[in-house]
Amino acid sequence: MNFRRMVWLVPPVALLAAVAYAHNAICDCFDNGDNTITCEGGFSDGGKAVGVPVRVLDGAGKVLIEGAMSAQSDFKFPKPKVDYRVVFDGGEGHIVTIDGRDIAK
Amino acid sequence: MGPAEAHFQLLYTPEAALKEAAAVPLAIVFSHPFDNGFTMAMGKPEAFYVVAQRGDGEPKRTDLMQYLEPIEWAGSDGTSKAAAFLAHPPRNITRSLGDYTFVLQPAPYYEKNEDKYIQQYTKTVINIGGIPGNWDEPLGLPVEVVPLDKPYANWVGGVFRAVVLADGKPVPHAEIEVEYLNHEPMIDAHKFDPEGKVTAPQEAFSTLSIRANAAGEVMIGLPKAGWWGIAALNLKEGAKHQGKRLSVDAVLWLKATDMKK
Repeated sequence: MNFRRMVWLVPPVALLAAVAYAHNAICDCFDNGDNTITCEGGFSDGGKAVGVPVRVLDGAGKVLIEGAMSAQSDFKFPKPKVDYRVVFDGGEGHIVTIDGRDIAK
Repeated sequence: MGPAEAHFQLLYTPEAALKEAAAVPLAIVFSHPFDNGFTMAMGKPEAFYVVAQRGDGEPKRTDLMQYLEPIEWAGSDGTSKAAAFLAHPPRNITRSLGDYTFVLQPAPYYEKNEDKYIQQYTKTVINIGGIPGNWDEPLGLPVEVVPLDKPYANWVGGVFRAVVLADGKPVPHAEIEVEYLNHEPMIDAHKFDPEGKVTAPQEAFSTLSIRANAAGEVMIGLPKAGWWGIAALNLKEGAKHQGKRLSVDAVLWLKATDMKK
């Protein structure tokens, strides 16, 4: 048994995360019409996505904006002038990527 | 002898579980959903709104009265037409993930055959994106059917449960009518699909009459894909409207989906 991994799993925070992430990650975004975009996240059991990292990348994969879901499980950012995609990073197996071209008002 | 058809307030939209945000069209028709032959004329609804909730967030109520469009709706017999309403709320009303409970409080309808009025508080619950919200919460209506199972996520062959409330309290042994929406509404054509999906072998199968149990709970099976309506009748004993009896009813719509690849 890998001792280090076992220790890493024991802290309560890690256990909570494991419970939440047993469910599907869901994220969707809309264009507010004022040059800002709002993305909302959550889990299929109704669990909040508070603190889940969100990254906005350009076409080449360069990080344009980096942040995290708010207490309301959403994230608002200025609409990039270039092609972009939004990555909701709920951890391994729970990453949702949304193409900026699919984000409507 | 005429068939004992049940009156049902329709609050119809084609999809109950949307993969992603979209504008949600609604048809508001007072009908008999199993045969939909005769459609009753509606007055202007007293209230029409949606209560949305994403996950554990705060519920958000949006008034929809401004989106009511008066129309004439045709019954499936192709001859009778009656006043009804459509609504096309814009996409930004339903662009967040979560549950949306549409609520209609129609004007009381005068039923001449029984010399009484009928008013059906009606709810249709849909979901966007799969994040649940307030589908199981009472909305504080005078009468309502509160789901015990998600109304938008039901497999054919499963069961659906709900509890009947009047003034927030369960109604033991409430009188219930259940109907299958046999003729699909065609929103743009303002009529029902003349082709029904099933045929009743005998009149007792058009409207399934059941009772809630002693705790006010209802359970129905879902043998066929599509919308099913549960109507709890006359939940306010002694209610009157313009000097006549008023049956204050609660209706809930739920959708069953085929299990397939």
